[in-house]
Amino acid sequence: MLKRLTYTVLAILFVTVFFGIDKSFAASAEVNYKWYCSQCHGLKGDGKGVNATPDQPVNPKNHTDTAEMAKLTVSDVENVIRDGGAASSKSTMMPPFDKTMTSEEIKELVPYLSKLCNCKFK
Amino acid sequence: MKGFFKIFAGALAVLVFLIIMGVNQSADASPAEGKSVFTAKNCGGCHLTAGPNTDKTFEDKLKRKGPDLWFAGSKFKLDWLESWLQNPKPIRPMEYNSIEKKNAGNHAKLSATEAHQVAEYLNSLISKDVAEKVIEDGKPNIQGKIAFEKKQGCYGCHSVTKAGKVVGGLTGPSFVDAGKRLRGDWIYAYLKDPKALIPVKRMPTYVGVLNDNDMKAVAQHITTFK
Repeated sequence: MLKRLTYTVLAILFVTVFFGIDKSFAASAEVNYKWYCSQCHGLKGDGKGVNATPDQPVNPKNHTDTAEMAKLTVSDVENVIRDGGAASSKSTMMPPFDKTMTSEEIKELVPYLSKLCNCKFK
Repeated sequence: MKGFFKIFAGALAVLVFLIIMGVNQSADASPAEGKSVFTAKNCGGCHLTAGPNTDKTFEDKLKRKGPDLWFAGSKFKLDWLESWLQNPKPIRPMEYNSIEKKNAGNHAKLSATEAHQVAEYLNSLISKDVAEKVIEDGKPNIQGKIAFEKKQGCYGCHSVTKAGKVVGGLTGPSFVDAGKRLRGDWIYAYLKDPKALIPVKRMPTYVGVLNDNDMKAVAQHITTFK
């Protein structure tokens, strides 16, 4: 009985520690957006990040522009984050994030962007 | 009168001897002397000198007040270190770890002797993750220029000089005159294995995005910025 109880406690401890560590490595969509995307797209998503200087060849996309953002599909959004602007015939100023964020983290950014634009992707 | 000249010549000889000794002492500053200055001025309050960096989360990174220096000898050029420490102009347009506040440019300034000693100390901080003599610093590399400007928009975050004008983004360290500051070997090592050197950062990773040749080429290209 005592042996079984010990094993159960150890198993619970293992699961808690394992998943706890895993969770601490993954950031939420909002945190990822503010850490990476906001450098160019701004903390509010309005395209006015600190890197959006007057001499840049393109302006970062305004993620709060409902009409413009609503033209995009979920795939468009995921692809441009994953593979960068070049893969979607957009500017190379948008870097690829597939080696920086996990696939899950990239997918989770879609609803966050949808919230920013107050729109639904096609 | 003759006695006066003897005394004068003797004093002059002593003076010359002392000056030479002083210069030599300065030229032969040991890393230990620089470490003492570094410690006395509490530089370690902002800069990590005992690596590797073990940050895992954004929160870990945000606790840091200044760039890591545990690989400073692999990253920076000695002459530049000594000169910059005496006249520390901002390298990062933005305050360290901030994308909202501008760099106030209030880094501590050292005297010529202190700067020489601290530069020697920092130059002794070498990382095993940075292989030496891989990149030929200062040699123009067209493949690197294309990768830097066309394949990837590196100046989206790093400011550069174009046609005599400083352009580009502000969140990354400036690349204006980066060839005077950075060793190509460090740039290449960082691109190749960023986590070994700076485990948490805002810059996306280019492992698997740029191939090895492009990474070497970009590193070499950046060292031509002077």
